[in-house]
Amino acid sequence: MSIQRALITLNSLENGTRGLAVDSRFQLTVTMLYLVAVLSVPLADPGMLVWMFVYPIVMAEASGTGYGRVLLRSLWVLPLAAVIGIFNPILDNSPAWHIGSVTVSAGWVTFISICLRGLLAVQAVLVLIYSTGFYALCTALQRMGLPAVLTTQLLMVYRYISVLLQESLSMSRARAARGFGRKNYPLQLWGVMVGQLLLRSVERARRVHNAMLARGFSGVLPAADPRPIRATDLLYLAGWTAVFALLRFVDISEILGNLINPVS
Amino acid sequence: MSHHYIQFSDVHYRYPGGVEALGGVTFRVTHGEKVALLGQNGAGKSTLLLHTDGLLLPTSGEVNVGDVPVRKSTLKLIRQTVGLVFQNPDDQLFMPTVADDVAFGPLNMGLPPGEVRRRVETSLAAVGASELADRPSFQLSGGQKRAVAIATVIAMEPDILVMDEPSANLDTGARRRLLDILHGFSHTMLVATHDLDLALELCPRAIVLDRGRVVADGSTAALLANRQLMQSTGMDIPASLLAYLRSLAPCIEG
Amino acid sequence: MHMADALVSPPVAAVAGVAAASLLVIATRKVARSRRSDIIPMMGVMGAFVFAAQMINFSIPGTGSSGHIIGGVLLAAFLGPWAAYLTLCSVLIVQCLVFADGGLMALGCNMINMAAMSTLVGYPLIYRPLIKYPSSTGRIMCASVLACVLSLEAGALLVSAETVASGITALPLGKFLMFMLPIHLAIGICEGVATGLVVAFVQRYNAPLLTDSAGTTAAGTSAGRRRVLWGFGIAALVLAVAFTWIASANPDGLEWSIEKVAGVAELAPASVPATAFMPDYESHFAGIVGGVLVMITLWAVTMLMFRHRRQTVSRRIK
Repeated sequence: MSIQRALITLNSLENGTRGLAVDSRFQLTVTMLYLVAVLSVPLADPGMLVWMFVYPIVMAEASGTGYGRVLLRSLWVLPLAAVIGIFNPILDNSPAWHIGSVTVSAGWVTFISICLRGLLAVQAVLVLIYSTGFYALCTALQRMGLPAVLTTQLLMVYRYISVLLQESLSMSRARAARGFGRKNYPLQLWGVMVGQLLLRSVERARRVHNAMLARGFSGVLPAADPRPIRATDLLYLAGWTAVFALLRFVDISEILGNLINPVS
Repeated sequence: MSHHYIQFSDVHYRYPGGVEALGGVTFRVTHGEKVALLGQNGAGKSTLLLHTDGLLLPTSGEVNVGDVPVRKSTLKLIRQTVGLVFQNPDDQLFMPTVADDVAFGPLNMGLPPGEVRRRVETSLAAVGASELADRPSFQLSGGQKRAVAIATVIAMEPDILVMDEPSANLDTGARRRLLDILHGFSHTMLVATHDLDLALELCPRAIVLDRGRVVADGSTAALLANRQLMQSTGMDIPASLLAYLRSLAPCIEG
Repeated sequence: MHMADALVSPPVAAVAGVAAASLLVIATRKVARSRRSDIIPMMGVMGAFVFAAQMINFSIPGTGSSGHIIGGVLLAAFLGPWAAYLTLCSVLIVQCLVFADGGLMALGCNMINMAAMSTLVGYPLIYRPLIKYPSSTGRIMCASVLACVLSLEAGALLVSAETVASGITALPLGKFLMFMLPIHLAIGICEGVATGLVVAFVQRYNAPLLTDSAGTTAAGTSAGRRRVLWGFGIAALVLAVAFTWIASANPDGLEWSIEKVAGVAELAPASVPATAFMPDYESHFAGIVGGVLVMITLWAVTMLMFRHRRQTVSRRIK
């Protein structure tokens, strides 16, 4: 990912889509439940995973994000999953499925499973962040009992990423202007450049610290105000939990297959 | 309201590296006064401003705000009285959204939630940034960031406003809006700036700093028109002032 | 080195998650009790710094490819191990949530493999005892290469173990390690050199920054020597475990794959049970195809259902 792309992602995120009126705490919990459901499906069972796409599709559209965007951004995980998964078809060629005259080995079945798991998990996270935003998630985490030191840390990192990326972008532009088309840095030069970035960052941290002190910061961070849990939140949680349980414990692919092609 | 003044009495400051940044600074800014702090880069302006809020404590000499000396034990009170607006708004706006950032000071003061909300609203309204409340700070324009940075400080309702280069990096429109905002404030003000036109327009009095010492203190217009002083401290007479002077006395040479 | 969710099973994720979270709790306590009043803005800005530094690639000498640092040892040199662990974890969380880099379930694994191994193992056991500032560039280089190699090898060992324990890959652990360890040896050396360069640069221009919050330097003292011994002990243990696995898996693995091939060969002629199951699998496959079609229909339907919402949202963005 280039620095520029990262900046664009950051910029698009907080303007994002707030189509859902559900508390971020519950969205986070549902995402975790979903991930447990998806990742606990046995690798020999990609049929079950296909039905798991219900969640990202419905949520992406319902939050106004659009599933197309989520699908596109999740595709990059495929090569990563493939690198690890590719050993399975090579090593495990016991037959698993016979479709007509074609035999599919167990290795390929698990390979497909790994790719699907990869897609589903990334899509779930994308849906979460697009429909809440990072700030809302951090507040949710704090309300769920995470220490203020950690949530403030997350917020500050997030706040200054764009500032420092800007800074390193202008540094690399200054180099590009005199770099005759070389894209990466030789190690020596890299050390100088990152060292400079570090010194600047430390200076910035000092100024931020001054600004915090000037406004009465004493080392203790103000806590987030509590927010009541509403019926819609509970309904949202219960609804999706039921759906996940259904998808996880009932093999719909098999039932559907038997309907289409009943065993005599 | 009690009298709010800043008194510097023979303030020396030496950085840990051994460089002397302030070499015996003495002046007094009285209640309701608006004073510009002028001088070249490295003259000690920013170091001086950090002393008003106790972010740096003098190596020798004393700083008084009102009747309170700036010491470790009085910092809490001092920082509620003196609002310091830093040069780079990116350093000042460290919280997620504009509203969170403005609320940071009042929350640290331990105010109840209702009062915090009221202060956020009024101070954002005072700088004309009410509609920015829910925006993340990194998406604001330079002028908006500056306005919000000022709001974060006035939310603590300080009596004295100290600003470092408020018009740096602003385009003409944003600078104009900033000036309009500042004109509306009745606070005692100390403004360090390179923007001599701003000094001339906003502050009737100016203090000129050179190599850590006060070299001139008086009416802004008179100081800025003093060719010798301007040259010796590396500044230029603002073009607007020059044009005005020429119109008064056409015989004055360039 | 970021692990994706696809590579972990819930039990493995849970174990790693609990371990990483416990370390985080300790780290937050240590930071809250820190004597440095600027530690909070410092950690915040340094986290963003590591994030930016990870995006600046350097070219790896002798190859055409490029690499980037993880930055654990580097952070620890400025913030001390615990604050560095907390900082690096926060970077991992932001990368996971904002950039979908590394999974949410795998977050615990990533925190242990990358953050804990570098800031809580490589740094305090190798780097810290060996270095007392001011140090020569050569010494800094050596210490950071050793520390980074240990961190990355330990991390690679854990990645492999976690993937195998999750039952994701058919590759036995030994073979997996044979493929992971040499790569991460190379990556570790690069990370070490890069880290050393930055530390040497900072030492030249702003040396006081380099005292981490632990304050006292242990190099040269008997406690320091003991720590180095611990460090090398752990490194030896990592190597020993890895080599045993590789050695034991090697003949095994070979046998195992031959067995597989043989097993298939045996299975093919005696195809009676296979044919008996054939219609079943075929219908299962039909069910999957049906599932895919249902999902596409669902997408179309939801898209129409929530059309209005999407329009209002995109209008708001404009």
